[in-house]
Amino acid sequence: MPVQKFRSIEEMNKAPLPESRGSNFERFLRHCARWWAIAPKYYPRGVFKFRTIEEAQKAREKHLPLK
Amino acid sequence: MLATTGYASRMDRDEVMRVLRAFESAGLEYVLIGAAAMGFHGLVRATEDLDLFIRATPENIDKLRSALRAAYEGDPTIDEISSADLLGEYPAIRYVPPTGDLYFDVMTRLGEVASFETIDAEIKDVDGAKIRVATPAALYQLKKGTVRSQDHVDAAALRERFNLKDEG
Repeated sequence: MPVQKFRSIEEMNKAPLPESRGSNFERFLRHCARWWAIAPKYYPRGVFKFRTIEEAQKAREKHLPLK
Repeated sequence: MLATTGYASRMDRDEVMRVLRAFESAGLEYVLIGAAAMGFHGLVRATEDLDLFIRATPENIDKLRSALRAAYEGDPTIDEISSADLLGEYPAIRYVPPTGDLYFDVMTRLGEVASFETIDAEIKDVDGAKIRVATPAALYQLKKGTVRSQDHVDAAALRERFNLKDEG
């Protein structure tokens, strides 16, 4: 079923997703690879320490997109 | 191929598997959480990191260092991962390897809410590698109470997909 047709967005959103290749984990890895290709970021290398998860999440938000 | 610019380029399947196999070979006691764990359960979204809880003992932190040394041979920064930190004032560390293709958030505890011992997990097999992954219910419990908006989205997706109910 390569092409599906819908009368509305609601109908489209309710449609089951097509079967995809490989396991869930393989899909996850492929999805991440695409994400990285589209929106690469710069990360300073090494070990960083945090007192709380919130502190770690704030540090993550500082990462810069690759120009 | 290693990034020569110092910039991240892609999440490499071989690199992920090399690290997960190194965890297994070292006997690291860990549980995978976060987006990678959600991916195992069929809820696929992109991420730049692998999040894991590890059992909080000096021996296990030694195993973490051994595994990372095996996966990223010659990276001296791995020596900065210490029991004193992870069992003390810094229960979360981020390790960004020289490749920069992905990084690791390693936790020993999440406030009083969670630790390796409190997270239900199941074993998944990928190409013969055994990977310990948090269950959907455990992921939901971890994510539903945080302040991070992405966690709220994840929690809603887990609740819907697995028909999860709040306890109490």
